[in-house]
Amino acid sequence: MSKYHRLLTWVSILIIASMLLAACGAPQATPEATEAEPPAAQPTEPPAATEAPTEPPAPAEKKVVTLIWTQEFDTLNPLYTQMWFVTALFPVYVCQAWWFDDQNSPIPNLVTEIPSVENGNISEDQRTITLKLRDDIVWSDGTPITSADFKFTYDMLMADSNAVASRSPYDLMESLETPDERTVVVTFPEPYAPWLSSLFSGSSGISIIPAHILQPVFDAEGTIDTAEWNTDPTVGCGPFVFEEWESGSFARFVANDNFWLGRPKLDELFFRFVPDDASMIAALVAGDGDVGTFFAYSDVPQLEEARITILNSFSGFNEGWYINMHPEKGNPALKDVKVRQALAYAFNREKLVQDLLLGLTEVAATDYDRSPWVDPTITPYPYDPDKAKALLAEAGWTDTNGDGTVDKDGIELVLKYGTTNREVRQDTQAVAQQDLAAVGIGTDLQSYDSDLFFSSYAEDGPSANFSLDIIEYSDAPNFPDPDSSVWRCSEIPTDDNPVGVNTSGLCDETLEALFVQQESQVDFKERQQTFYEITRYILDQAYWIGLWQDPDLFGFSDRMIDVKMSGAIPFFNIAEWDVTQ
Amino acid sequence: MTRYILRRLLQAIPLLFIISLVLFILMQNMGDPLATMGGRKVTRTEDRIRLARQLGLDKPILVQYIYWLVGNDWAKTDLDGDGVAETPGSRKGVLRGDWGISLVNRQPVTKVIGERLSNTLLLMVTAEAVIILAALLIGIYSALHQYTAKDNIITATTFIFYSMPVFFFALLAMYIFAVNFKKWGLPYLPTVGMFEPAAGQTPVQVAWHMILPVATLSFGFIAGYSRYIRSTMLEALGQDYVRTAKAKGLPRPEVVYIHALKNASLPIVTIIALDLPFLLGGAIVTERIFGWPGMGRLFLDHVSRSDTAVVMGILMMIAVAVIVFQIIADVTYAWLDPRIRYK
Repeated sequence: MSKYHRLLTWVSILIIASMLLAACGAPQATPEATEAEPPAAQPTEPPAATEAPTEPPAPAEKKVVTLIWTQEFDTLNPLYTQMWFVTALFPVYVCQAWWFDDQNSPIPNLVTEIPSVENGNISEDQRTITLKLRDDIVWSDGTPITSADFKFTYDMLMADSNAVASRSPYDLMESLETPDERTVVVTFPEPYAPWLSSLFSGSSGISIIPAHILQPVFDAEGTIDTAEWNTDPTVGCGPFVFEEWESGSFARFVANDNFWLGRPKLDELFFRFVPDDASMIAALVAGDGDVGTFFAYSDVPQLEEARITILNSFSGFNEGWYINMHPEKGNPALKDVKVRQALAYAFNREKLVQDLLLGLTEVAATDYDRSPWVDPTITPYPYDPDKAKALLAEAGWTDTNGDGTVDKDGIELVLKYGTTNREVRQDTQAVAQQDLAAVGIGTDLQSYDSDLFFSSYAEDGPSANFSLDIIEYSDAPNFPDPDSSVWRCSEIPTDDNPVGVNTSGLCDETLEALFVQQESQVDFKERQQTFYEITRYILDQAYWIGLWQDPDLFGFSDRMIDVKMSGAIPFFNIAEWDVTQ
Repeated sequence: MTRYILRRLLQAIPLLFIISLVLFILMQNMGDPLATMGGRKVTRTEDRIRLARQLGLDKPILVQYIYWLVGNDWAKTDLDGDGVAETPGSRKGVLRGDWGISLVNRQPVTKVIGERLSNTLLLMVTAEAVIILAALLIGIYSALHQYTAKDNIITATTFIFYSMPVFFFALLAMYIFAVNFKKWGLPYLPTVGMFEPAAGQTPVQVAWHMILPVATLSFGFIAGYSRYIRSTMLEALGQDYVRTAKAKGLPRPEVVYIHALKNASLPIVTIIALDLPFLLGGAIVTERIFGWPGMGRLFLDHVSRSDTAVVMGILMMIAVAVIVFQIIADVTYAWLDPRIRYK
C-alpha cells in the first residue's frame, strides 16, 4: 500500500470514528448535566431574622414541565382559533367566566357565581343573563379586568373587519351591556339553552382579550387580524403568562405572579411541537417529555411499560357511522330502517373495541354517550349476525345468485363507506368490511385526507356531497352542551346552502321538532327529558350507528402529581399541577 | 457570459408566471381551508359564509390568482355581507412584494417562511456538507480500490443504506441512540427538538440535537452519491489523459485530484446543483420525526390546511431557486470544462 493509500485510509477511519464518537459520546450535554443549571426564579423562604445563615440556602430547582404537543398552535388569540391544541390551553394563559371541572360542572373563574334563575342572574323570561365579576381579577400586567374587556371582546367578534374563527353564539345576542365595571348583561331574543358552555366559556367558547392592549391596535389598523398580541400574548389572565414561541419548535409559558387565585405550583410549561406520533412516544418513553396526547391506542402498552400514566378525557366525542339519508341522493336500501338496523347488528363492535382499541374505551350507543343527556335505559345494538340476516330478509334483501352478497330487484347491496385516513379508522373499515360481508352486505371502502374529507358541499367534499352511504367520523357539540346542528333540516347542504353541516341529509320531522324544542329549554331537567327522546329516537331509527366512545388520551410521566382532567376543559386545574422533586 | 445569464433570467420570467398559475389552480383543489377552521367540529354554516367572504375565498379562482399576483387595493370588497362592495382591499400582490397573509395564523407569508428558513438551512447545509465530503472520500477510495474486499464491503453497505427508507432509519436511530442507550445507562442522544428546555438554545445544544437528523438525512445520499462518484472516477481513471499524466511522472495525488477528479466531477456538479434548491424546501420526513422546525414541516402543516398563500410562497421560492441554481450549474460547468463556452 502506498503512502497515499494509507493516508486516505486513515482519513476515512478518522471521519467514521469521529461520527461514531459524536453519536455516542459528549456526555457533558446530557439532560443530567443540564439539571445543574443556574438557580430557579422561584422565590425561596427568607432566612430567619434573628441569625444570619452560615450557608446560603440551596436554590429550589425550577419546576419545568415539558408537554409534547403534536400540532403547533395556529394563533394564540382565542377569537381566531378553534384548534383543539390551542383551546385546550385556554386555562393556561387566558381566562373565561367559568371553567368546567373533572365532573364537567361549571366552576366560577371571572364571575362570583354561576348565573341561575335562583340567584337572580337569569331573568324570569330566561332571555337575560347577568355576569357578576369578581373584584380582584387582573391581567398579568396588573391592569384590572373589567366589564369593558367583555364588551371589547364582543365588539371585536362582531367587527366585520375581523375574520374571527366563529361568532357563535354572539351573533345570536340581542345586546351586551355593561352597566358598571363589574357587571355584564347579555340579552338573547329567545331563551338560549346552550349559554353555559358557550358564553365567554367552554372549550370552543371565547376567552376575553385585553382591551387596554388591543383597542389601540384596532383603532390604528381597523382590524386585529394581524395584531402582534395574536402570536405574542405577553399580557394574559391565566395562571401562566406567555413568554416565548419559536415557530415549529417550542413555546414557553411561565408562572403568573399576579394570578388572583395564587401563583401556580409549576414555574414553567414548555411545549415542544412534535408532529410525528412515533417520535412523541419515543420522547415520552425516553423521558424527554412529561405530557403527551393524541397517541394511538396501540401505543398505550408501551407507554404504560415506561410508567406513563394514561388518563382518558371524555370530551363528548363518539365515533360512529352517519347513514346517508338524503331523500334523492341516498342509497334507497338505507331508507329502510331494517337495513340500517341490520348494519348495527352485523358489526361486532365489542370485539372491535377489545381488539383494536385494547378495551380502553367502550362501544358508543349514541352520539351523546358519556354525557347526562342520554336515556339511561339505552344500550348499544348487540352483535347478532343472525338477526342482521333476518332483518335483511324481511326487507327483501336475499342472496339470490349465490355470490355472497344480498340483492333485491337485481341490485346488489354494496355500500360506499368512507372516512378519513386516520389509522384506526382505516383499520375499522377493514374489520367492518369482513363483518358486513358475513351477512351479505358488500362495502366499497374509501378514505381521504381530513381536510379533503370534511370539505363542504360547495367544494365537493366526500362527507358532504352525499356520494357515500356510510360516513364515519366523530363529532361533539359544544360539550358539555348537547345542542347540535347536524340533524337539522335547514343544514342539509344544497346548491342554495352549499355549506350546510347536516351531512347525512336527513330531515325527520320528529327529530326536527325535538331539536327545536330543546333550543329554548333553559331548565336542565326539561331539556334532559327532550334529549332522552332524541337519543332513543336516533338509536331506534339507526340514523347513527355508534362505534366507540372516543376519549382524548393523555399520558403523564410518573413525576407529575395533582393532575385532574375534565372532558370539557382538559387542563382546568393546571394551576394545581406539580412535580415530585 | 453576462449576456447568457441575463438571457436565462429573462426567459425565467414567463416560466415563473406559468408555474405560479398552475400551482395556484392545483392548490385550489387540495382541499377547503374553511373545513378545518372549526377545529374538531364542523365549521358552522354562518361562519363558513362569513369567513369565505372576509378571506376572499368566495371569489372565482382566476380572481383570487389576480389578487395574489397584483393585489386587490384597486378593488372593493364586501366585508359585511350586505351585497355591496364598499371596503377597499389592502393586499398589494406578489409583484409588489406582498406575498399575502397565512390563512392559518394570519401572519405575513414572508414572516412565516423567514422564521423557518434559517433552521432548515442550518440542518440541510450541514447535511449536504457531510454528504459531499463523505461521498467524495468513500467514492474515491472505492474507485481506487476497485474489486478489493474493502470496495465490496463499501458497495454492500452503501446498497443497504441506499435502500433503507428514511423514516425507518430515523426511527431506528432514535430508538437505538436515544431511547435504548438511555435505558441501558449509556451516553445517549436526544429524541426530538433543537435543545433541552433546562439548558436553553445554546450552540452546543443545537449541534447535539442535530446529530440524529443530519445522520438520517445523510446516510442515504452518501450511499447514492458515493456510488456515482465511484463510477465517474473509474471512467476518468481509465482515460488517456490520466495515463498520460501518470506517464509524465506526476505525483499520484495530482493525477487523482487534479486530472481525474476534476473531469469526473462534471456530472456530480449537475446533481448537486439540482439538489441545492431543494435544501430550501427542507426534509419533510426527517423534520417531522425529529421535531425539527424547518421548511418541510411548515410546508406539510400548511398544505394540510390548504393555506394557499404560504404554500405558494414556499413553492415559488423553490421554483426561483431551481432556476438560479441551474444557471449557477451551467456557469460552473464552463469553469470546469474549458470546451464549454456560452454565448
